[in-house]
Amino acid sequence: MASLSVSKTPPPASAAPRATPAGSTGSTRRGPRRRVREAVTAYAFLTPAVLLFLALGLYTLGYGLALSGATWNGFSPEWTWVGLDNYLDLLYRSPVYAPIVRSAALHTLVVMIAVPLLTVAISFPLAVLLNNAARLRTMMRTVFFLPYVTSGIAVYLAWQYVLRPDGGVNALLRALGLGTLAQPQGFLGNPATALPTVIVVMVWTAVPVGMLLYLTGLQSLDPAMLEAASLDGAGWWRTNMHIAWPLLRPITAAVILLNLREALQGFQTFLVMTGPEGAPGGKTNVLGLQAYHLAFLEQMQPTLGLASALGWLLFLIAILLAALNLRALRSTT
Amino acid sequence: MHLYYGRHGRRAATAAAMAALLLPLAACGGSGKSAGDGKSITMWTFKQSHVKPLQDAAARFKDQTGISVTIQAVTPDDAYTAKLQSAAKTNGLPDVLEVHTQGEDFVYGGAGLLTDLSDKVDASWTRGMVPSVRKAGVVTPRLEAASKKPGSAYPGVKAGARYSVPFTIGTFGIVYANKAKLAEAGVSSVPKTWEDLVAAVKATTKKDKRKGGITVGLGTASTGLNWALQPMAFGALGKAGYQGLFGRDSGKTWASPNGQKVLSLYDKLTPYWAPGAQSLSIDAADRSFAQGDAAFDIGGTFTLASLRQFGMKPDEVEAFPIPAPKGGKATDRSLAAFSLTSLAVTTQSKNEAADLKWLRFLAKPDVAGTFAKAATDLPAVDLGDNPVRVVGPTLASLTKVFSSGSQVYDPNDTSFMPAQYPANWEKAGAALVNMSPLKRSSPRETGKQLDTLIKNYWAAGK
Repeated sequence: MASLSVSKTPPPASAAPRATPAGSTGSTRRGPRRRVREAVTAYAFLTPAVLLFLALGLYTLGYGLALSGATWNGFSPEWTWVGLDNYLDLLYRSPVYAPIVRSAALHTLVVMIAVPLLTVAISFPLAVLLNNAARLRTMMRTVFFLPYVTSGIAVYLAWQYVLRPDGGVNALLRALGLGTLAQPQGFLGNPATALPTVIVVMVWTAVPVGMLLYLTGLQSLDPAMLEAASLDGAGWWRTNMHIAWPLLRPITAAVILLNLREALQGFQTFLVMTGPEGAPGGKTNVLGLQAYHLAFLEQMQPTLGLASALGWLLFLIAILLAALNLRALRSTT
Repeated sequence: MHLYYGRHGRRAATAAAMAALLLPLAACGGSGKSAGDGKSITMWTFKQSHVKPLQDAAARFKDQTGISVTIQAVTPDDAYTAKLQSAAKTNGLPDVLEVHTQGEDFVYGGAGLLTDLSDKVDASWTRGMVPSVRKAGVVTPRLEAASKKPGSAYPGVKAGARYSVPFTIGTFGIVYANKAKLAEAGVSSVPKTWEDLVAAVKATTKKDKRKGGITVGLGTASTGLNWALQPMAFGALGKAGYQGLFGRDSGKTWASPNGQKVLSLYDKLTPYWAPGAQSLSIDAADRSFAQGDAAFDIGGTFTLASLRQFGMKPDEVEAFPIPAPKGGKATDRSLAAFSLTSLAVTTQSKNEAADLKWLRFLAKPDVAGTFAKAATDLPAVDLGDNPVRVVGPTLASLTKVFSSGSQVYDPNDTSFMPAQYPANWEKAGAALVNMSPLKRSSPRETGKQLDTLIKNYWAAGK
């Protein structure tokens, strides 16, 4: 009873504890100090990341942008400022570099069209099949994801060996009686097959991620909707193509965007498989590889500025493509 | 589980977190800096085959002087360039560098990264070198003048400065033939003319279509141009005719009858390239030859070291220079030895006296001979009248192709070419690869493409 009477008697206003935003009952004198301390701690943890971003992000971005307006061989103490000359030289003005950049741009365009489309064309059906697989689904998912986790220089080198004139692919084709499809010069040595071959390897590397994204999307679809379609008489094809596929459009956009970026800026596959000059005879030279070549393989000519300018042109194209992709996505969802 | 941190504990945790984040940054510099006490120096090289022989020499050097030398290799060339760029920026260059002569030495020297050794490398030092390379690495007035033009690769070089000392020498345009494959194909003598070479490759290819051809690392497109076409063209046209190919007179350039003649001769190799040669790097081509995938391999004197590295014994190969065609204007043409790699002291070194002692030590005849034999590379040091005794028969046989005089093809002489051409010849090489082995263009079209490129370089140099 005593406690009840106490509860009914309101305490003096001055003695009432003030509720903190977090609902705690800490004293009014300790609150701000604690908040300051927490803020300091938070900033202390954030500072390294901010410093790293400033040093490795903003500084290098600014440095790269400035470099694109200069000629420099990477060693001289001074840069020679040339304004927009590097951009103009790459785009049309230099009789030495413009034709090479044009040829590399054409190859890049082919890669940018082929890799995303083929990745989507293979990933989606693969994901649908995996989603419907009743048995061994986990094992098959692991097998299909293997190219992604094993990707790297060693895998590209392995591909290079397999694709040689006396490599495994030719041997297999001959063993299967398909010798006419074998490439006596190797799949990377024939100018007609070199670029398509690298595209196939890029798609092989990209499919696992695409497949996983589609699989995640398929598993998040409302089963009731698919069931309703089935009850309405829609078969396997109509269910996937007219219900699942449109609903997974955002994932398709993401897969396309990821692969466009890789096709536009990635060059390591080409560097390892066909060399820094895009052999044979420049037939696999792409813009990313050309930027690398201008930076490190021009016999120390002052072409670092050209390399940087090409990098910025690639960046602008990437931004433009991302914007177009997002716009397309927004208009269809 | 709840962890309680007091005020000091939190501060300590914050400091530890920051330190953990920042320490790895400090550790990833990869600096070549040595102590600066004159007792230990560091040297970087881009040639893996030089590492062990240099380490052996360093062990002898330490015994004699007490100075230890750490040798580090950074390969391939683009990684070496990138490493040097970052090291130069972060004051992390080593004491001594091995560089391509008249390449990186001028670039780094002009940038103030290499010590001018002109007052240290005196006649008593250069006297022991092969005569043709004694002045290699010294900046000429012509080079200084060219360095002031826009787009020069060597801004800042000063006439008379010496930024490096020759270390290894050699030349391009050496053909290596697999003796066993020659014997199997019935080729009994070393080709004396270009036509003999084509006939020999035809014979070995007929014997073994897949593994009887000729190879070179055409993935680096300039190799076919520099190592085969140019020495052959010199033999066919003589010095004046050869130099005319790169000139401004369209009556003498690649599209002219002279140019068409040598391009057509080169095109005769087209059916006999080893499968896939067009996509191989230089090392990969050497490896494929060493593994028996080709009967012939085109390279330079330095190729022997690669072949040995890939498991081929020097006595398994026959080495001879790219021959001149029958009826050529310089059929008795020989090849000039030039300095391939040099040694340089960086301006960031605090051990200059020890660095110079090391360079001088490597220039001693006995040390150079031991190095050469172990590295299968020819030293800049004159091996005397009996090189066989010093470096063995195969390596010594390569010195026989060297000569001097008017009928000598010197791959290093680019004085008659547009200034920017030598640094861009892989672009000309790509045009040649499209003709042979790719068969994508005819000699006529290739001649026109080469002329356009060269014309553009002349225009750019104005």
